[in-house]
Amino acid sequence: MNNIKNLRFFLSACLLAMAVLFSGVAQAHEEEKKPYVPRKVDIYEGFPDWYKGVFADNVGLKEGSGLFKDHYKPPFMHMYMYPGRHYEPPTRFDHSIFIEKERRDLCIRCHETINTGAIEDWKTSAHYNPRKTPIIARKTKIIEDSIGKEISVVDCFDCHVDTEKKQIRLPTAGDCSECHARQVTEFASEKNHGRPNHIQTLESNVLVPWYQESYRRGLMAGNAGCDMCHGATDKCDPCHTRHSFSAAEARRPQACMSCHMGPDHPDAESYSESKHGIIYELEEEHYNFDKPLAHVMVGEEYRTPTCQFCHMYQGGGTFTHNFVSKGIWRMGTVPPSNIEYESSLKDYPYGIKIIPPKIDIYSDENLDKRDKWIEMCSNCHSPRFAAGWLTQMDDYMFQANKLTDQAQKVIDDLIADDMLYPSPAERDIYPGGDWLADVLPAELLGEGVWNAFKSTGGKIPVIGPILGVYAMFYQGDGNPTHIETSYAKMWFWYKLQGYKGYAHVQQDIMWWWGQSPMLQELGNVQSEARSMRRAAAIEKVLAEIGKPVSHYTSKSTASAEELDYEENR
Amino acid sequence: MGYTGRKKEVSKSINLCWRNILSGIIIAVFVTTTCLGSMVMAEGKLKPVSEAEFKKGKDVYDKYCAVCHGEEGDGYGELAHALYPKPRDFTKGQYKIRTNATGSLPTDADLIHVISVGIHGTSMIPWDILELDQIKSMLPVLKSFSEAWQYREPESPIAIGREVPSSQQSIARGKELYEQKECWKCHGENGHGDGPSSYDLADEWEIPIQAYDFTRASKFKGGATNHDIYLRFSTGMNGTPMPSFANELSDEDRWSLVHFVKSLAEQKEGHGHGE
Repeated sequence: MNNIKNLRFFLSACLLAMAVLFSGVAQAHEEEKKPYVPRKVDIYEGFPDWYKGVFADNVGLKEGSGLFKDHYKPPFMHMYMYPGRHYEPPTRFDHSIFIEKERRDLCIRCHETINTGAIEDWKTSAHYNPRKTPIIARKTKIIEDSIGKEISVVDCFDCHVDTEKKQIRLPTAGDCSECHARQVTEFASEKNHGRPNHIQTLESNVLVPWYQESYRRGLMAGNAGCDMCHGATDKCDPCHTRHSFSAAEARRPQACMSCHMGPDHPDAESYSESKHGIIYELEEEHYNFDKPLAHVMVGEEYRTPTCQFCHMYQGGGTFTHNFVSKGIWRMGTVPPSNIEYESSLKDYPYGIKIIPPKIDIYSDENLDKRDKWIEMCSNCHSPRFAAGWLTQMDDYMFQANKLTDQAQKVIDDLIADDMLYPSPAERDIYPGGDWLADVLPAELLGEGVWNAFKSTGGKIPVIGPILGVYAMFYQGDGNPTHIETSYAKMWFWYKLQGYKGYAHVQQDIMWWWGQSPMLQELGNVQSEARSMRRAAAIEKVLAEIGKPVSHYTSKSTASAEELDYEENR
Repeated sequence: MGYTGRKKEVSKSINLCWRNILSGIIIAVFVTTTCLGSMVMAEGKLKPVSEAEFKKGKDVYDKYCAVCHGEEGDGYGELAHALYPKPRDFTKGQYKIRTNATGSLPTDADLIHVISVGIHGTSMIPWDILELDQIKSMLPVLKSFSEAWQYREPESPIAIGREVPSSQQSIARGKELYEQKECWKCHGENGHGDGPSSYDLADEWEIPIQAYDFTRASKFKGGATNHDIYLRFSTGMNGTPMPSFANELSDEDRWSLVHFVKSLAEQKEGHGHGE
C-alpha cells in the first residue's frame, strides 16, 4: 500500500513539476514580444481602382483631386483640409533630426511656446492621460489588447510622424485607425450607402464642374466655404476637435453645427430651435456626454435626443460612427420615384450615371430604415405618433417635388419654344461645358447628354435636380438667368429648408423658410416666364413691321476658347 | 555674404602685398603673438578659425538655427514672426544667460551650456541632440555676427559664494530684500510677474517682454536650480531691465533671494495647479 501511495505521490509530483515547467515555457513564449506593427484601415477599400488614384494617393499641392484634377490647382489650404491627398511636410525647417533620434520630448519643448493652445489642449486629452477616467481607462485597455501594445501616453510622435517616410505627417482617419480601427471602419462604411456621406465629401466638392470653373475665373479663394466642410473625407477632427479629441465633446450637438447649417441644410437652426434643441439648451448640464451612446439612460441622462443619438443609431440599441445608414430622403435633392411628373423630371437622371437615380421611398430597404426611425422615436413618443410624423414629412416632400415639377415644366416649355432669354446659344457655357465631355466618357454622362456637350461645347440649358444647382455656384454672362436662379433656390434651398424643418420638427423653419418661399419662387418663375414670352411676342411683331430689336450682344456669344480667361496662377 | 573671420584674412593678405618682407615679418610676429596670447587666455577675442572650420559651423547653424535666428544672426529667421519670446538677435552681442559680470560677453562655456540645455519658456530646445563638436563649431559663427567680439573679451566667471541652506529665516530675509530692492515693481508682490512696471517692459530691441512669473515653477529661462537663479541675481540679464545685484548685495543676501523666489513657486505647486 505504502509503495503505491509513494508511487502516486511521485507521479503527481512529476506531473506538477511538468505542469509548472510547461507553463513556464508557455509564459516565456508569450513574453517574447512581437514588434508593434501598426495596422491601418483603408477608408477607400471597396472603391474602384481609379478612385484611389485621384483621391487617395498623395500628390501634395502639385495637382488637384478627382477626375477633373487637371482643371484646377489646389490652393494652399487644401493640404490641411484634405491631408491624405494634399498634405506636404514642412519645408522651412527640417525636422528629420528629431525623428531619427526619436526625441519625443523636444516637440513639446519647442512647440509649447509657439502653439501653446494646442499643447495645453492635448494635456487635457485621453491621449495625454489614457487612464483619465474609468471609462477612458477601459477603452484604453480594449485598444491595448487589440493592437498588442501598452499605451502610457499618445504623444506628438505617435500621430505626427510617418515612421516609414521619416517625415512629419498630418494625421488622417487612416492614421487614427492604428488605434481606433473600429470607429474608422464604421465611419468608412458610410460610403456603402451612397452620397451624401462624409467619406465622399471631397469627391462631391471637386467632381462638380463649377468648382473648376471658379478656378478658371480666378475665384478659387471663395471656394474655402466649400472646402472647409467637404474635408470630412479622411479626417476625424471635424467632430473630435484638435488636440483634445474628446469623445464627450463629439457627442454634443454643437459638434455638427459648423457644417450642418445654412440655407441648403439648416440642421443646426432647425434642431436648436425645436423643442428637442431648446430642452437640450435649457438642461445641458444634466446630459451625460461622458457615456457612450449605447449606455445612455434615455430620459435620465438625455431628456431629448441629440444629432448623434438619432443619426448614429443603427437599430437594436446599437450605435456606430455611420451617420447615413438610416437616410431615406438623404439630402432631399433627389426626386422620388413614387410620384408622377409632368416635366422633364420624368426622365431624371437623363441617363447620367454620376448622379443618383430616383429614390423609391417605399423600397424594402427604405421601409427597414423607417422602422429603425420609429424604434428610435419610440424611446419617448408613441410609435403611432412617430410613424404619423414621418408619413406627413413624406407627404410634404412629395408635394414639394410636385411643385418643383411644376416650375421645371414652365422652364422646359420656355426652352422648347426657344424663349429663354438669353438663349443657351447666345450666352456663356455651362461651367466646364467645353471640356466636360472630354473628361467624362459617354458611359458616365449618358449618350444624349454627352453628345449635347460635345456638339455645343457646353452651350446647353441645364435645370433642376441635380446638375442645375450650378445656378447657385456660378454666374457666367447671361447664364444662369433670373428664372433659373429662382428655380434653383426653390428646389435646392426652400424645398430642403422645409424638409429640415419637418425632420427636426421646427415649425417656423418648415413654413417660413420652406414652403412659403418655395411658393414665392414658383410665382417668380411663372411671372418671369410670362415676361419672356411677352417680350418675345412684342419682338416678333416689331420684326414683322420692319423694326427688329437689336439685342445686346457681348462676349457671351464668343466661344470658351476666345474668352481668354485670366489664369490665376 | 562675408563673415568677420574671412574679412580679416583678406585684409591681411592685402597688407602683405603692400609691405616689404621686413614689415611682413614684423606683422607675422605680431599676428602670431596676438594669436598665442589669445590662445593662452582661452577666452580671448575672436579666435581665428580656418575657412573650412567656419563653414562647418555655419552649415550646422544654417541647418538648425537660422530658421529662427536668421542667416545673418539678426533674429529674423523665417519662423521668427511666429515666436514669442523672440529669438535672440546676435548682432548686438547681448547675452542674457551668463556666468560672468553684468554687461560682459558670455564665455564659450556659457554659450555651449545654453545651446545644450535650451531656454525654458521659449522655443529654444536643448540642442544636446547635436554632437558637442557641432555645437562648438558654431561658436565662431555666433561671434561673427557681432563686432562686440572683436573689441571685447568675455570676463571670467564670477566667484560663487557658498550656498546658505534654505530656511524660514533666509526666505524671510529674501522677502525683505524683494521689497527693498523693488523686485516687486516688475515681478509683482506675489511673484506673478504682474507688478506695476510689468506692463510696459521692453528689452534693448524694443520688443515687449514680460517679467518672470515665479509661480511657473521650473520655467526659469536660465535654469531652475538654486545655482542658476543665484547666477541671474549676480550677473543680471543683459539687454533686459533685470540688473545684477553682485555689487549691492552680499552673497548671503543673494542666496536668500533665491530661496524666497523659489518658495513662491512651491506655494503654487502646493495648490495642485502645477503640471
